[in-house]
Amino acid sequence: MNSLYDKVKKNLIWKSVFRRDYRDNARSRAMAIFGNVFLHLHPVKVRESAVKLRYTWGMGGITFLAFIILTITGVVLMFYYHPTVDLAYLDMKDLEFQAPYGVISRNLHRWAAHFMVIVVMIHMFRVFMTGSYKAPRQFNWGIGVILLVLTFLLSFTGYLLPWDQLGFWAITVGTNMGAATPLLGFQGPFSEYLHITPYNDVRFALLGGASVGGNALLRSYIWHCIAIPLISIILMFVHFWRVRKDGGISRPQH
Amino acid sequence: MARENQNTTRLRAQIFAGLSVALLLLSAWVIWDDEFGLRPWKHYQKEYKALKHEKLDKEYQEALRDFKRSGGARRLEMLEKQLAKAEDAFKQKGVHERYVKLNAQLDDLHAKMALSQKELQTVRGQYLETEYYFTKTQKPEYKKKMDELQKQIDVIDRSNKELLAKDEPLRLEISKLTGGMNEIRAEIEAMKKGLEERKEKIANNDKAPIEIKQYMIKDTDKADRCVSCHAGIESSLQVSQKQPYTKHPLGFVYIGKHDPGKFGCTFCHRGQGRATTTIEKAHGNVKHFAEPMLKGDMTQTSCLNCHGDIKNLRGAEKIAGNTELIRKYGCYSCHKIPGYEGMGDVGPELTNVGTKVNYSWAVKWLMDPKKYFSTARMPKFFFTKDQAESIADYLFSISGTTRHDVDYAAETPNAALVEKGKGLWSQARCNLCHMTNGKGGNHIKVYAPDLSKAGSKLNKTWMFNWIKDPNKYYPGTKMPRFRFTDEEIKALVEYITSEYQDDDAEANYTAPSEIKAASIKKGKDLIQQYGCYGCHKIQGMEMVQVAPSLKSQGVTFLRSDEMREKIGTELSSIGSKPVDLLDFGKLKKSIPNDRLSYIKQKLRDPRGFRLGLRMPNFGLTEKEVNELAAVLYGFTDSNVPTRFLVPSRQELERMAGVPSYKFTGDFAKVIADLKCTNCHSIKGIGADYAPDLSIVGSKLQESWIRSFLANPDVIRPLLQQMPKLGLTGGVKPAKITMPKFNLGKQRVEDTNRTDVDVVMNYFQQELVTPDIPKDIPVLVDVAMPEQLAQGKKLYDQKGCVSCHQIGSDGGALGPNLSNVGNRLRPGFIFKHLENSRKFKPDIVEPNYGFTERERIFLTNYLMTLKLTAK
Repeated sequence: MNSLYDKVKKNLIWKSVFRRDYRDNARSRAMAIFGNVFLHLHPVKVRESAVKLRYTWGMGGITFLAFIILTITGVVLMFYYHPTVDLAYLDMKDLEFQAPYGVISRNLHRWAAHFMVIVVMIHMFRVFMTGSYKAPRQFNWGIGVILLVLTFLLSFTGYLLPWDQLGFWAITVGTNMGAATPLLGFQGPFSEYLHITPYNDVRFALLGGASVGGNALLRSYIWHCIAIPLISIILMFVHFWRVRKDGGISRPQH
Repeated sequence: MARENQNTTRLRAQIFAGLSVALLLLSAWVIWDDEFGLRPWKHYQKEYKALKHEKLDKEYQEALRDFKRSGGARRLEMLEKQLAKAEDAFKQKGVHERYVKLNAQLDDLHAKMALSQKELQTVRGQYLETEYYFTKTQKPEYKKKMDELQKQIDVIDRSNKELLAKDEPLRLEISKLTGGMNEIRAEIEAMKKGLEERKEKIANNDKAPIEIKQYMIKDTDKADRCVSCHAGIESSLQVSQKQPYTKHPLGFVYIGKHDPGKFGCTFCHRGQGRATTTIEKAHGNVKHFAEPMLKGDMTQTSCLNCHGDIKNLRGAEKIAGNTELIRKYGCYSCHKIPGYEGMGDVGPELTNVGTKVNYSWAVKWLMDPKKYFSTARMPKFFFTKDQAESIADYLFSISGTTRHDVDYAAETPNAALVEKGKGLWSQARCNLCHMTNGKGGNHIKVYAPDLSKAGSKLNKTWMFNWIKDPNKYYPGTKMPRFRFTDEEIKALVEYITSEYQDDDAEANYTAPSEIKAASIKKGKDLIQQYGCYGCHKIQGMEMVQVAPSLKSQGVTFLRSDEMREKIGTELSSIGSKPVDLLDFGKLKKSIPNDRLSYIKQKLRDPRGFRLGLRMPNFGLTEKEVNELAAVLYGFTDSNVPTRFLVPSRQELERMAGVPSYKFTGDFAKVIADLKCTNCHSIKGIGADYAPDLSIVGSKLQESWIRSFLANPDVIRPLLQQMPKLGLTGGVKPAKITMPKFNLGKQRVEDTNRTDVDVVMNYFQQELVTPDIPKDIPVLVDVAMPEQLAQGKKLYDQKGCVSCHQIGSDGGALGPNLSNVGNRLRPGFIFKHLENSRKFKPDIVEPNYGFTERERIFLTNYLMTLKLTAK
């Protein structure tokens, strides 16, 4: 038995993957955090009061979990989806009727999306109520606000992708609001001073045209699947990093 | 951690463990659901395979039993024994060696024969070449060479024959050696073949994988997975009567002519072809799915997608019958409907209606036509008495008359005239088109007015002028001009007025009363508002409504065709109109919110959805509502690939730029008068009620046509009573024939020929076909009496007598042939016997495949059948 244990554990391959032992001492625990690319964003040490669920509600972490679920299911969905006017809706139908685990993938993606929007707002509420936006965390509050907007944008751009009536008109309404933006939208006040027309305003930029069509679908797709997730990931890491640098997760002041 | 309460730690561990188990179970359920729950077709396919296996196996067992019973099994056993014996014998050493040797000899012989054959060809070629030079130059040396070559040929020929003579004995010897092994093998194989094939079918069925099956049709964006559950739909084998295992009904039309690989399923049936998870989803019976599946007869509505002409289309009988309703009620008068452009007015011209009818009648009629006649086609507009009076006032004022009634019931009719009129009425067969007291009329689709109450409605002077020349009052009418004398017309008018009185008729204005200008103005507004001009020609209102966009610019009436718009909604794509564009109004909650329900409700109660709607109520029966809705449902703008389209003949001719047929010369005048095309079809114009006259000149003899026109008679007694064998059921109409027009009495305008002469001339000049010869070939080798006897024999042999009548013998399905020798031209009979469907595709007569000689015999025989007492 022992020899088998030695054989498995005492070789280069094992050691190159598991580079530390599990002895319960401070160094070993610290090494677990340092040595792991995913965990090194996390503070090496956490105060006991910081894990009080009643104080933080764990909402930030749960939001991140939802994001991970969305990323995984989103990638699965991308295998079956063409962002074209002819095929988008039919692909969605095929996900429902035909693709293996298509229903669970799509539904998980949808549930997690709703969940993330709700949870991220509760997270913000908690941060506000505990005063965790105060110094030295002002900068991270700002990052958080941007992340909130990005979460909403992810939701908004994803709404068009099924290419059904609901999404089509939601995006029509949403982008028409853009058209009424002061200065930037052709229907907004003062836009005439900037020579804004339906063909160079912010709505045009969002839709790739003056109405919802194939270009809008493609733009939504790129924003939804690549651009916004990339920006979000970068900002999330800044967010987590700032949590650590600003003295760890906020906790009751004793 | 160490300081944590032990109990808390335990609780957390328990919660974690519980959640883990729940997640595991959930994952297991997800896997199960994806494998089976969401794929019910797996079960159906398995079930279908089992049913098919059962059926095929039963057939196999039956075949096996038959095989045994017929002695096949015993014979097979015997053959197998023989084969074994022969094989044993063949295996003996000497025999086999000899077999090989003989075979080698045979091969050698064949090689020699091939060589010698080739040599022969070469020499023959040289011979022909030499012969050519000789004929050209006549030089003797060529002749000499030819002789030489001929000798060579003879030599080779002889050796060839010798070789050939060796072949047969060699083969015989070889076959003796093998003991007929090969023949036995072949027979065994043939005996086993049928059973083997059945076994293979069963094996193939068992091997078939359980998988999603679908038809992908690229250009219509379809992936129809219906066959995943309906696995046997394409098969010719019915394994079960239960859904989804049945085969397609009338499959040889619907599947046979529409390869599912090219058309898919949803192109005709609609429904959600991609869905496979539940029956409701697949059939499209789910919320927000706009195209629920069409089932049964309703599916025929899809024929309209591609077929331009569905009249005689196999499998489209229901929908073809339903489209008649559009014509009957003239939907196209107010709505734009593709394929119904320029159909003519449904109602009579109203410009001079004041001279035609009683004022009281007009008001009563306007208020509720169905109350006056339950068969009335005019819909109810829900006019109040006041409104109806205003409309009548306007119409009477443009006729230049006042409010007036004539009450003929108060007068005593001239009995002698009535008696004479009665005779003329039946002689002219007025009842053919006009219904009186529930008799006659209706089955001819000309929709002539019911005359049961005509005496209390019509003005005598008007009636006289009308019968004398209907075109004068209303050029678009279907009423023919009968060749009556003035005296006869007077008698007919007297008869109609006295016989067909309405007991409930009112006559409030026997003393004429003036019309107020305000009422006229109001009447005109009402006519414009409700679009009476859609169905009736009214002078000064020939133009239909102006498009709303133009109206906002102050344009009220236009003379340009392109800018006109019908008063009702365009119906070109009503069958695919998005449901959210249909205004359910106050019925939103009380009827199902789908397209078909909307259409049906609209037909049932056109103004029920909200206030301000103008469509009148046609008082349709529920059956008519369903039929009409089925047709409307077929008017779609669905994406139909051009390769599917089957345009009608008219469309094809229009596309090819072939000018449509027009009657010319004096015949055009006669036809405008007699309206032959009400019943007859000529060169694609007219109705299919009476025989097609397109080739009448080649078909019928002149003398017979003349006598028929003078006194029309029934030719196909049963067919006329039961069009198309009457398989559709319905009311059995009375025996009818052509009306008697009294032709030949009058000269055609601007000519000195009678109308019969004009008709005859046109028949013989225009309505002929080069496909039918004037005379038939003459047989010189058989004497005429012998030919006639042969013809008679054929007539009896082939059972012609079961449908045709000669004298008093025979059936009545086909024309009576007693006088056929006087009626038909021999060329027509001759060609008709060759292929009866050539000139009349839907004929019931079978094709017997006569030889030319037989056809000559029969034709000659039939031409002797003449009634002498003419």
